[in-house]
Amino acid sequence: MSVTVERETAISIDGLRKSFAGEPVLCGIDLSIDEGEFCVVVGSSGSGKSTLLKCISGLLSFEWGAVFVDGEDVTNRSVETRDIGFVFQDFEDRLFPHMTVEENVAFGLREAETYDAAEISRRVNEALQLLSISETKTSLPSELSGGQQQRVELARQLVRECDVMLLDDPLADLDYKLQKRMVLEIRRIHEEFGSTFVYVTHNQDQALKLADKLVVMNDGVVEQVGTPEEVYNAPETAFVGRFIGDNNPLLGTVTEHDGDRVVLDTDLGTVVAEPREEPPAVGEETMVLLRPEDVSLGDDAGARDNGSIATVEDLTYTGEYTEFAVSLPNVTHEFQVRRPGDIRRFGEGDEVRIGWDAAEGVCYDRLSASDSVTVDDLMEV
Amino acid sequence: MAASDHTHADEASAGLSVDGLTKIYPDGTLAVDDISFSIDAGDFCVIIGPSGCGKSTTLHSLVGNVPPTKGTVTLDGRDITDAPTYRRDIGLVFQDFQLFPHLTVEENIRYGLERMDVSAAEANDHVESMAEMMQLDGMLDRNPAELSAGQQQRVALARSLVLEPKLLLLDEPLGDMDYKLQKRMERELLRLHRELETTFVYVTHDQTQAMRLADQMVVMNDGKIEHSGPVREVYNRPRTAFTAAFVGDSNLFSGTVTDVEAGGAVAVVDTDFGAFRVSTANADSGAEELVGREVVFAVRPQFVRLDDDDGNALDCDVDDVIHRSGEGTQIVMTARGSEGTKQVQAKSDDRVEPTADAVTVGWDADDAILLERTSVAGDVDLQEDILGE
Repeated sequence: MSVTVERETAISIDGLRKSFAGEPVLCGIDLSIDEGEFCVVVGSSGSGKSTLLKCISGLLSFEWGAVFVDGEDVTNRSVETRDIGFVFQDFEDRLFPHMTVEENVAFGLREAETYDAAEISRRVNEALQLLSISETKTSLPSELSGGQQQRVELARQLVRECDVMLLDDPLADLDYKLQKRMVLEIRRIHEEFGSTFVYVTHNQDQALKLADKLVVMNDGVVEQVGTPEEVYNAPETAFVGRFIGDNNPLLGTVTEHDGDRVVLDTDLGTVVAEPREEPPAVGEETMVLLRPEDVSLGDDAGARDNGSIATVEDLTYTGEYTEFAVSLPNVTHEFQVRRPGDIRRFGEGDEVRIGWDAAEGVCYDRLSASDSVTVDDLMEV
Repeated sequence: MAASDHTHADEASAGLSVDGLTKIYPDGTLAVDDISFSIDAGDFCVIIGPSGCGKSTTLHSLVGNVPPTKGTVTLDGRDITDAPTYRRDIGLVFQDFQLFPHLTVEENIRYGLERMDVSAAEANDHVESMAEMMQLDGMLDRNPAELSAGQQQRVALARSLVLEPKLLLLDEPLGDMDYKLQKRMERELLRLHRELETTFVYVTHDQTQAMRLADQMVVMNDGKIEHSGPVREVYNRPRTAFTAAFVGDSNLFSGTVTDVEAGGAVAVVDTDFGAFRVSTANADSGAEELVGREVVFAVRPQFVRLDDDDGNALDCDVDDVIHRSGEGTQIVMTARGSEGTKQVQAKSDDRVEPTADAVTVGWDADDAILLERTSVAGDVDLQEDILGE
């Protein structure tokens, strides 16, 4: 457990509601983000995550609710007076093509007319150094790679020395290798810069690596707020379990309670599962979720609470892991199983025993924080 | 679900063969430089490389809309180098789907069949079974605009596959999709490929996607092929340092071989960061020939441990510790050498917490991959050319 540090609240959002053409996009968002925190809002397209970011920045107005920055209600303040930095995905269009990197980064500060030349030069040099692009100072944007251009855009925002930085999927357009490297860079920049970051993405791998606080959004509502480990290890709803990381779903009807566990009748036969929160009542239909890395294979599977014979349909070696797609008797969808390393004991077409403990295959009473989510929807996540 | 029937006669024949393909554009750009590779019928081949490596030009030569300057393309024994696209017996799927917006899902899937000599009844059967395989049965009457990105891509796949092409070419088909949808579509593509006998050629810059999908990988760089082979071979026995760095994560070191040990099984490599013991299993040259040579070696992060049991020891400062739920811990470190510093990464499948800011890491000699060549392209700076920085 980490040491608890008293922190001031940097951003507070109360009951925010927003709709486009009568269609609700944000349905009452409450969220509090601490000073210096790295908060990542993750969700699929249409979940409302970018709209939320635009409401915080002041780029969009909203019908109900309030946004507080440093304890001050900024709901009715203009974008310019909110003193918030923001970085977008489409960085290419935002840099001035005829200006050097240095001029681009200094532009906002010069326009503000409140800083002398020495102060501007100090801030620009510091930002360029922090982002490891000092050597591009006299280059034009067109002479830079995509990753360097995105850093210039970041630098333009960092020199404003805003206490709050909003980032809308800033790495989405970069090549895979560069994305991975920039994730490490952004962690370092946040650490050294110390300001509050609110970062929006659909890429949960980035979200899990960057966040101090992870906010999972779906359909205009917040599904869960917690540390990445809390969200991954103890999803509050079946939606979160399905959306964050991979999870094999298995539907079942509760037949009895066995102490803290429930016994379910599923397509695979009788399965015991631990409930995430309140155990669902006897007769209720519920969803069991099982992480691919928690499924045992072969000899390891024998001593588990649950088990089945499976057929290996597909086997994929990804360098770090071996991933199996297995079919199970009477279950229409395949299960995913993942083991570290290069596993060659089983091949395609082989019958193999799989197993897991009740604590690993958890059953969910709550499907989602949104009322409209059905079991069928969750199977499609 | 019917597993594909692997007993048919074409099984052994080469599916696709590219020989000496060269493309020089009118402005003089040498995009593809005398490349050759072949793909077995029914295999899933992924062509991967950084932007500008020639992978798109190669794909478009297979499609038939970029006439090669030199070389031949053979599909199922037939030279198709100069054949028009519609005579090549290939299907195409792009990132932007390219569906007909004014036609329904069913009409989109049926479109190509109507231009072939197929009876209406037979066309119905084909469309129906393809829709079922793609899980589009419930939405045949809808317009593409009413579908999600994943569904639209499934229509695009159905429209190509219903014509039963010998070869399906996929150009970054999942590029614009949400992370979660990408992962799901990757599994769909694997399932489809399993159920069909079609050869797939897939182009991407995303190496995790490549590793997950491919039977065979073609790694391209600077218009040439760095390595073409099965995924396991490309990852574990890369031919060049470029491949080791581009496919999967790697810690790379360069130095001079000063000695060989263990009957030639281990080379001692002297680097700016100290001397390390490296397995010679990946070397083409004999152990004795290696002595005195400049080489590179790669250590995958999952083999870097927070101890120095096997005689390889490297002192590092810990910069960052990332606990990635579901995947253990990633540790980012800086090693200080005589000529400068280097970032070193370690990965553990379990959650680990380094106990100090300075640690000594190590790895087994067997887990270090010796690389005699940096790249097939001359004058490659690994940092610059792989990361595009």
